[in-house]
Amino acid sequence: MKRSQLFYLALGIVALSAVAVPRPAQAQVRVTLDDTYGCVRCHADKRQSFIAGIHSERGLRCHDCHGGDPSSFEIDAGHSQPFLGAPTKRETVELCASCHSDPNQMRQYGLPADQLAEFRASRHGELLLIREINDGPACTDCHDAHTILPPEDARSDVHPTNISSTCATCHDDAEMMDPYGIPVDQFETYRASAHGLSLYEEGNAASPTCVNCHGSHAALPAPAGEVPNVCGQCHVLVRQEFYEGPHGDATLGGRRPRTINCHRKHGTEHIPHEAVQATCRECHESGTPEDDIAGALQETLVQAEEDLEAAGRSIDELVRHGRDVTSAKLRFRTAQASQLQLTLVQHSLDSLRIEDLSRRVRSTSRGIQEIEEVSQEHRWEHKLMTIPVWFLALAVVFFSAIKLSGVRRTDE
Amino acid sequence: MVRRALSYIGSALSQTYQAVKASTDASVLGAARFLGLLYGPIDRSLPVDQALKKTLRYRLAPHVGWRHSLGGIAYLLFVILVATGVMLVFYYRPSPQEAHASVQHIVSDVAFGWLVRDVHAWSANLIVIALILHMGRVFVEASYKPPRETNWLIGLLLMVVVFLFGASGYLLPWDQWSYWLVAEITHAMEGLPLFGATMADAVRGDEVVSGATLSRFFALHVVLLPWIAAALLVYHFTLVRRRGIAPPMSIPGDAPKGAAGLGVPFFPTQLLRSLIVSSLVIAVVITLAAFFPRPVGDPADISTVPESLVTTWLLADVARALIRYVGPWLFIILLVLLGGLAVLPLFDRRPARQLRDRRIALLLGAVFFLIFASAWFAGHQMRNTPPSIAVEHDSGASEQAPIPIEPLGLSPIQPTQPENEEGVP
Repeated sequence: MKRSQLFYLALGIVALSAVAVPRPAQAQVRVTLDDTYGCVRCHADKRQSFIAGIHSERGLRCHDCHGGDPSSFEIDAGHSQPFLGAPTKRETVELCASCHSDPNQMRQYGLPADQLAEFRASRHGELLLIREINDGPACTDCHDAHTILPPEDARSDVHPTNISSTCATCHDDAEMMDPYGIPVDQFETYRASAHGLSLYEEGNAASPTCVNCHGSHAALPAPAGEVPNVCGQCHVLVRQEFYEGPHGDATLGGRRPRTINCHRKHGTEHIPHEAVQATCRECHESGTPEDDIAGALQETLVQAEEDLEAAGRSIDELVRHGRDVTSAKLRFRTAQASQLQLTLVQHSLDSLRIEDLSRRVRSTSRGIQEIEEVSQEHRWEHKLMTIPVWFLALAVVFFSAIKLSGVRRTDE
Repeated sequence: MVRRALSYIGSALSQTYQAVKASTDASVLGAARFLGLLYGPIDRSLPVDQALKKTLRYRLAPHVGWRHSLGGIAYLLFVILVATGVMLVFYYRPSPQEAHASVQHIVSDVAFGWLVRDVHAWSANLIVIALILHMGRVFVEASYKPPRETNWLIGLLLMVVVFLFGASGYLLPWDQWSYWLVAEITHAMEGLPLFGATMADAVRGDEVVSGATLSRFFALHVVLLPWIAAALLVYHFTLVRRRGIAPPMSIPGDAPKGAAGLGVPFFPTQLLRSLIVSSLVIAVVITLAAFFPRPVGDPADISTVPESLVTTWLLADVARALIRYVGPWLFIILLVLLGGLAVLPLFDRRPARQLRDRRIALLLGAVFFLIFASAWFAGHQMRNTPPSIAVEHDSGASEQAPIPIEPLGLSPIQPTQPENEEGVP
């Protein structure tokens, strides 16, 4: 074998071993930190943002997305073909999908490989890919182009605490939303809703954001008939009760139940018990049998709430007077559980179960109030005890005074 | 048979009585005198029964009247506090885990536990009033003048001890109110110049009010302070007898020799007066306890600043008002005033006792009384959480200046009007 043949054989073996034995991603040197990497000579700002992202950690390089020849330090040679440069929105989607739609590459990171398929099915995908309107967002509009961070990173635009404002960057833009007839107050409405308050005020990161109801890559508005299912993904017990009632039947029967009217959509809110009938009247006219049912339901709910509050006050009063409230607190928990069940069961409008639960709340609360009444009687007895005390004290004063005047007379 | 047996028992008892009498020194009457049941000198050369008769016949100075019962009332309240305190300590458990529950047990389950506890709490308030009035009477009548300066100082020390009793006892219920008030006071103590931080650490025994503080306060309240108080009381009473009751304001200088012994007899006149006053005081204390029991707060929670602080001790109100309005100079102002009053007999040595001759002294006393009364009034109106504590709790910066802040909690965004549209989003 000639020397040159040996050289090429050795080179081939080295090249094969480099391909066949991939090094762990974490162990790879971040080539963008390498001064011998041509792109960074000019695009230092892009390097800064890129190395902060997860793609840099996974060993991706500029030319993996943009093409060109990074080994060259000449502008022309560095930008030699195949060179993509700054991709368009549609090219971006395809470029990201080239890896993210490959199950073999995504498996090790536990990422789904159907994101492109989902995106195509979304309203956003329809706009961008099918109708070819650039108002539709590409991957980089939500995930950033260079500093791509995993959703669990608080700095990420798609982190639960950031995603709604990320959506709002477009959905708050009246000019952009106008052609599609989409209102632009959704984000503000959401922030003030029960879900928004839970997330932003109480810091509950498990609270739903835009993507929990609309989907992320497959973002779509839910049709009215699907709303109970969408809400029911979290509110499982409410969904179960809802489908057992007449509104659930109406939904399943394809009739428009307009259930969304009760709790609103982006401005999702808890309905105070005293506002139940008024809410029902948004659909059911006053004086109808449905209105009577609503009135009875409201009365039951308000009564149960008042019973529970009275029991709570009794416990406070017992605590204030130093009474042991262990057993009263246990009873209170039972009453609270019944009241919670009542708030769930109300969605079924099952009057028998509603009445049964409200009775349980009432009887348990009454038991607690009776404990307080006994304590109150004791306190009254304590006050009565002062009568003999004063009787004795005044008797001592009286007889002592008589004796004193006698002594004074004798003394004089 | 029965008559013989009774006669035998009678003579045996009589012999025992005679034997005990013969072998008992008259000094034992000192114990009765300590309890306020006797006043005059005890002739220790006589047998105990004759010494008793002699001391009962003792006559007080003619000007001794009802106003002299204020010290006696304070002492009666002190005795009530000791008696009820001993009863409470049978059930109270001085640990953060058990203190609150044991107080709950005392007022809920123990027979008349509520009465004992509330009488204790009310007596602690009334004793402060009685002491202030007693001190006021001594001050206005110039009874602190020579030769009674020492007793004035002892009296002031006794007052400090009573205040310390109250302060150390205040934490013992270990509820939110007592915990956070002590936290506020120790926090204010930290702001004192020079020794503030050291003093606060010494009081707390920890960086925050904790179980270590509870142990310290309990030890002070039931072990150390009672001995100090007993010693001071014995000396206070001894000096009252040795120096005699101060003469009326109209007589300059000390009372003429032999003035004592010309007024009403101690027995039965003065003892009956004591009985009348004692009965009324006890009835008042029980009535206050029955009608206005001290509420029990939530168990102390180091991580939760309560929304409101209910104070149940007169001096707690005073301390709180001075902390909020005067800041870290609370103790300094109190010490200066107290020091001024303490050294007053050293400067005001003129024999004149009339009010018109002692304008500066009276002004000083009036200022002290006014500050005390207005601080109590202002403190009693306060219910809010201590701002200094809230700031410290919120930011973790104890050096930060106390600034009023909103009650803990987030200010929610005002919900917008619900949407009117219906159907599909």
